[in-house]
Amino acid sequence: MTATITQPIAWLDGPWWPYLALILFAVLPTEIWRWLAVAFSRRIDADSPALEWVRAVATALLAGIVAKLIVAPPGALAAVPLALRVGALSVTLAIMLFDRRRVLLAVLAGEATLIGGAYWLPAI
Amino acid sequence: MTVSAEWTWWRVALAGMRDALSLPAWVVGFGLVGIGSLARDVGYPVEVAVLSTMLVWAGPSQVIFFASIAAGAAWSAIAIAVGFASLRFLPMTVAILPLLRRPGQGVGMQLLLAHYVAVTAWTEGLRRLPHVPPPQRVAYFLGFANTCMATSSVGTFLGYYLIGALPIPFAAGLLCLTPIFFLASLTAGLRHRGDAAAIILGLALAPICDRFIGGGFDLIVAGLIAGSIAFALRPKKVAP
Repeated sequence: MTATITQPIAWLDGPWWPYLALILFAVLPTEIWRWLAVAFSRRIDADSPALEWVRAVATALLAGIVAKLIVAPPGALAAVPLALRVGALSVTLAIMLFDRRRVLLAVLAGEATLIGGAYWLPAI
Repeated sequence: MTVSAEWTWWRVALAGMRDALSLPAWVVGFGLVGIGSLARDVGYPVEVAVLSTMLVWAGPSQVIFFASIAAGAAWSAIAIAVGFASLRFLPMTVAILPLLRRPGQGVGMQLLLAHYVAVTAWTEGLRRLPHVPPPQRVAYFLGFANTCMATSSVGTFLGYYLIGALPIPFAAGLLCLTPIFFLASLTAGLRHRGDAAAIILGLALAPICDRFIGGGFDLIVAGLIAGSIAFALRPKKVAP
C-alpha cells in the first residue's frame, strides 16, 4: 500500500497547486449539481424516475466509499485488524437497524468498539 | 425550538444556531475531523483542508478527493468520482429549495442557500423548516447551516494536527468516524428495499471492483452497477 500520490499537472504546478486542484477537481464537480438544481428547480419533478435512479447510484456510491475506507483504510486505521474494523461497522449497523433515530448512539458504540478493541487486542 | 413570526432575523438565526448545536453540528464537526488527517497524508496544507470543508461542504466528496490523491488516481477519474458522489445534491437541492423560496428572491441568494445543501443540513432542514414561518426560514437555515460549517471547519483544522499526535487506537477511531457516520446516516435515511439494496450492493461491490478495475474508476463502476440494480428493485409507486 505504498502507491505514489497523484502528481500535479506539470504546466499548472506551483505553490498554489493544492488550492487549484481543490477548486478544479473537488469544488466544481460538487457545486455544479447545486447550481444546476437552482437552474432546474422549477422544472424538475422531485419524484421523477431519473432522480430516483440518481439517488440510488448516489446511495450505492456512498456505501462503496464506506467499504473502501474499511477494506483499504488510510493511515493509522490500517494498524487496526480488518476484523475489528468490520466489527465496529457491524455494531453501528446493528444499532441503526434496531432504531433508526439513534444515530449518535450508533456512531459512539461503533467508535467504542474500535477504540476499545484496539486497546485490548495485543500486539497492535 | 419554535420560531415566532414576529422575531427579528438575527433572533431567528440564533434559534437556528441553537438547534444546530443541540446535536447535528457536533456530529458533522467530528465526522469531518478525518478530512484534516487525509489532507495531511497527501502533504496538502491545512488551509486546503479547511477550505475543502467550507467550499466543497460534502464529506464523501472530500474523502474521495484526498483518498484518491493518496491512491494515485488520475485527475479526470477523481473529478468524475467526486461529481458522481455529489450527484445526489441535484435531487436534494431541488427538494429543499421550495421550502426556502420567497417572492422576489434573487438567483444569488438561491445559489448561496444551495451551497449549504449536504446530508446533515438537508435532512434536518427538511424536518425542521416546515415548522418555521416562511419569511423566517432563510435566516433560520443560514444560522443552522453556518453553525454546522463552523464546527466542521474547526474539526477539520484540529484533525489536521491532532491525528498524528494521538495514540494509534484514538487516531484509528477518528479516521473510522467517517465510514461509521456515513453508514449510520445512510441507514437513517432508508425508505424502502431499493435503498437497502443500494447500500448492501454498494458495500459488497466496491471492494470487488477495487480488485478488478484500475485507474480510479472502480468506485464509479461499483456505484453505477449497484445503484442501477437497486433502482430496478425499488417498489413501484402506488398511484395516488
